[in-house]
Amino acid sequence: MVNENLVKDVVKEPYKYGFVTDIETEKISKGLNEDIIRLISTKKEEPEYLLNFRLNAFKKWQQMKEPNWAELGYEEINYQDIIYYSAPKQKEKISSLDEVDPKLLETFDKLGIPLTEQKKLTNVAVDAVFDSVSIATTFREELAEHGVIFCSISEAVKNHSDLIEKYLGSVVPATDNYFAALNSAVFSDGSFVYIPKGVACPMDLSSYFRINSGDSGQFERTLIIAEESSSVSYLEGCTAPMFDTNTLHAAVVELIALDDASIKYSTVQNWYAGNEEGVGGIFNFVTKRGKCLGNRSKISWSQVETGSAITWKYPSCLLLGEESIGEFYSVALTNNLQQADTGTKMIHIGPKTKSTIVSKGISAGHSKNSYRGLVKMGTKAIGAKNYSQCDSMLIGDQASANTFPYITSQQQNSEIEHEASTCRISEDQLFYLQSRGIEFEEAVSMMVSGFCRDVFNQLPMEFAAEADKLLALKLEGSVG
Amino acid sequence: MEIIERIKTNKLFSNPTEIQKLCLKKLQSNPLPNLKSELWRLSNKSKFSNFLDFSLNGNSTNFEFPYQNNSKNIIRLIIGENSPTNINNEDYSINELNNEELIAYIKKNLSSFDQNENWSELLNLCLSFEQNILGLRIQGTKIPPLEILSHASNDYINAKTLILIVEKNCNLDLLQINLGTENSSLSHSTYLCLEENSFVNHGMVAYGEKKSNLLNSLNVIQQQNSEYNLGTLHFKFNYARFEIRIKQSSGNARTNIKGMQITKNDEQIATYTKIEFNGPNGFLDQINKSLADDKSHAIFEGSIIVPKIAQKTDASQLSRNLLLSNHAQIDTKPQLEIIADDVKCKHGATISQLNEEELFYMRSRGLTLAEASKLQLGSFFKEIISFIPVPKGRWDLLNKLLKQD
Amino acid sequence: MTESNPILEVNNLFASTDDLPILKGVSITVYPGEIHAIMGRNGCGKSTLSKIIAGHPSYNITEGEINFSGKNVNSLEPEERAQSGIFLGFQYPIEIPGVSNLEFLRVSTNARRKFLKKEELDTFDFEDLVKEKLELVKMDSAFLSRSVNQGFSGGEKKRNEILQMALLEPKIAILDETDSGLDIDALRIVASGIKKIANNKTGIILITHYQRLLDEIKPDYVHVMSDGQIIKTGGSDLALELEKNGYEWTDNFVKEK
Repeated sequence: MVNENLVKDVVKEPYKYGFVTDIETEKISKGLNEDIIRLISTKKEEPEYLLNFRLNAFKKWQQMKEPNWAELGYEEINYQDIIYYSAPKQKEKISSLDEVDPKLLETFDKLGIPLTEQKKLTNVAVDAVFDSVSIATTFREELAEHGVIFCSISEAVKNHSDLIEKYLGSVVPATDNYFAALNSAVFSDGSFVYIPKGVACPMDLSSYFRINSGDSGQFERTLIIAEESSSVSYLEGCTAPMFDTNTLHAAVVELIALDDASIKYSTVQNWYAGNEEGVGGIFNFVTKRGKCLGNRSKISWSQVETGSAITWKYPSCLLLGEESIGEFYSVALTNNLQQADTGTKMIHIGPKTKSTIVSKGISAGHSKNSYRGLVKMGTKAIGAKNYSQCDSMLIGDQASANTFPYITSQQQNSEIEHEASTCRISEDQLFYLQSRGIEFEEAVSMMVSGFCRDVFNQLPMEFAAEADKLLALKLEGSVG
Repeated sequence: MEIIERIKTNKLFSNPTEIQKLCLKKLQSNPLPNLKSELWRLSNKSKFSNFLDFSLNGNSTNFEFPYQNNSKNIIRLIIGENSPTNINNEDYSINELNNEELIAYIKKNLSSFDQNENWSELLNLCLSFEQNILGLRIQGTKIPPLEILSHASNDYINAKTLILIVEKNCNLDLLQINLGTENSSLSHSTYLCLEENSFVNHGMVAYGEKKSNLLNSLNVIQQQNSEYNLGTLHFKFNYARFEIRIKQSSGNARTNIKGMQITKNDEQIATYTKIEFNGPNGFLDQINKSLADDKSHAIFEGSIIVPKIAQKTDASQLSRNLLLSNHAQIDTKPQLEIIADDVKCKHGATISQLNEEELFYMRSRGLTLAEASKLQLGSFFKEIISFIPVPKGRWDLLNKLLKQD
Repeated sequence: MTESNPILEVNNLFASTDDLPILKGVSITVYPGEIHAIMGRNGCGKSTLSKIIAGHPSYNITEGEINFSGKNVNSLEPEERAQSGIFLGFQYPIEIPGVSNLEFLRVSTNARRKFLKKEELDTFDFEDLVKEKLELVKMDSAFLSRSVNQGFSGGEKKRNEILQMALLEPKIAILDETDSGLDIDALRIVASGIKKIANNKTGIILITHYQRLLDEIKPDYVHVMSDGQIIKTGGSDLALELEKNGYEWTDNFVKEK
């Protein structure tokens, strides 16, 4: 028998991003009502249309019911007990990074995301978001030379209002679902990316989200627009301190790709997952959707989901343009009492559209890991193709792995192929590796990363290495 | 929906049986399934109410089944018509369950029924008159093939129920034929218990005529070391819904299922299967094929449930679908729900059309497109049909499928 | 006189799996430079013996001991045994999807080198080394980029095993039916690979039931196993005798006992 305890030990690495930054913050009072929404909007000096967008979403949200179909078990969220705006106190207008509170810079330093001129990462532009606001965005001038706009969404509202008005809510309507409506009503900050026609973004863009306060929710909103024949690779990272209460994270991400444009969106999600007894952790209820509006456009999602107490997330593609391509590559690892219900929707509307889904779920401990996905061929999707592969790896006999693929076709000249399998780390494979001198822990993590290889291959280089390490850390002690 | 009104107001029968009373109680406050739930969301609402829109009929009208029984090598029983003679001989015996046994058996099942999930069974038991419930206990080997027939009568909704207890070490070939007639609804439920070491080849064939509707449920319990082979075929129904629930009560059993449904015109046929492994070393090999043409809609949803106790389960489920028209629709959802870690489970689903390369090859050898398509369809059907235990030539299923328009 | 100390000493070994006894008192001693062959029918316990020496977790040693280089290794983990120089060539090398062969070879080679207090090799140096060793088994470097054993033919898997042996430079190599499933050309390649790796400091145990491997690699000792015991030991002519007379007498031997 594979030594169960040994594998359990392999997964016990403490959460190393669990610290809290002691900083004076400006918070508004708890609760949610029209006044709060007006207050957020005023604080952000928003134009009328945006306030109306928020108020409209709030109205709809009040009429909506919290979804429960994913069979996720959690205590009811008290939406009046959440702070909807929390920002570190700093000078009104910051003209350079030197004016950012050093404590904040130090925080991001500790997270491995140095922001200052001397230390900043050389090949990635970073937008750092702390609780409700964007702290700093690096490489802005360099990007501007290429016509690329990369800034916080609050700034974009001020400086690129036409784009915001045109595209905000065009992929994820305010009333799309319960959490998207909530986000539309109260979103505080997030990133905005605009790649002009014909430009291949010269470097990877990245947002780093940090939840610091325990009683505020995080509701960021990201909007990426890739004009004709442009391309961009965008990375997203997330961490949060360890609190024994649950924090709500309800983000909305919208991607728009026009003719021949391509967007690659990668996430490594490592929100605090709660402790071994399942106390605390982030509720990660996120709506991510891309619209392949243009012909031959391409949107590719890749995600490594390792954190959060509960994840509820289906990065999706609406494939409208002829020959447009949607991709989804996912690794979701759950341990202890984590629950993840994740997958994608590939909606084939235009002809000759193609989509690929590769999902790898790893469940350890008492966790619950579900793949839920929809592939739909509409009546006009002539010549469309989909291929899906969903594999689950079970570690120990207390974890569960579920696969729920929804497949529907209304176009005879289209093809859908779905495959799913379940496996565990086999004793024979482990023994083979060990008999060649490879240590138990290393053998396990080799097997797990081998299992995830198809997905890791899709991640940008730095991310792939990080994801591999992260998985190994998370898994320490869980293999049985 | 007269029937539903009568269930609600408890006016279904002047003199309900004990079973009917129990089922009525479960349905009365909530007589319809939740049409928004996973199990029912794809059901065509107007066709579903069409199914219920008939008056209840308990008496059998004269109905001539095809392929008269002219062979002594087949035992033919018609539910609601001929009461079975008890057969006892050296090799085997077939005996009718007495009333107490019947009630006890149904009650045992009823206790675990859920209003939404088992709505089809509950409705069936509500509507089944005593003479339309056939219960049999079967023992022995060398049993001649058993053919059990049911049909609906024009302009009525009929309910028929079959309960079959296949005793230890028994070896049985069973063919069930459910026929719809013009403008009719048939509610049919089968309960099958395979005791230890038993072996059953089961065929379930159902086809209708113009505007026939069918709600067909099949409940199977497999005890250990039993082997159950099921071949099913559903076609030519305005609305048909086939629900299969199989439980390997303590694992260590083998289940093979090959099912097929064909929809044309504006028909809707759906198959739901739920296979539960309640012990270790279970085996399942399942394939379901659908073919949808014209404006029809074919649905398959299958779930495989492997709890912690079911270590070393080996289960595979495949859904293969052909979409032959641009106005037709196919939905499929094979699901895995697994807690045990030492298992081998996989599923797959494809939706496609006839293979163009193969068609082209045949046409380049001089076959017409129609001939070539027919050949391909024939091979698509054949795997399923050859799995249905039908004495050679009888019922002529393949021709029926290929000829139907 | 290190030369005279045995590399491997198996003393009166009893072992079982799921309470089913498989080995019933096996003893075998291998000195440096020696080649031993263990022959016997399927199910006689030969493969089990090899797995137990390599530390397979499915088997329990109930009595007796395995000494390697003078130290008892009964309770060592499989990787510790491998690092210290015990090598098992598997009869059915398992496929490990997703794990790159090159990466696997590098990690295991370095684990062994670390034990030997040799410098660990980086990717480039390792590639040079592995290419040199590939020659030994006449393998194409394209094998390196594939997943471990995945989609390999039977012969390719066996050659991959010998490649690993070449890289790990074990002190003792137990080759479990390395000849099975090989055509005569592949057999020669594998045999010549083994001969090149073996030297006067290594010990080799060949597990087989055919003479043809032993035609290529002449053993110093031949042991015949039946029902979990070694029932006869002799020189290389014993193998020829077996080839001629078959194994039937071994069954009787046990019965008589």
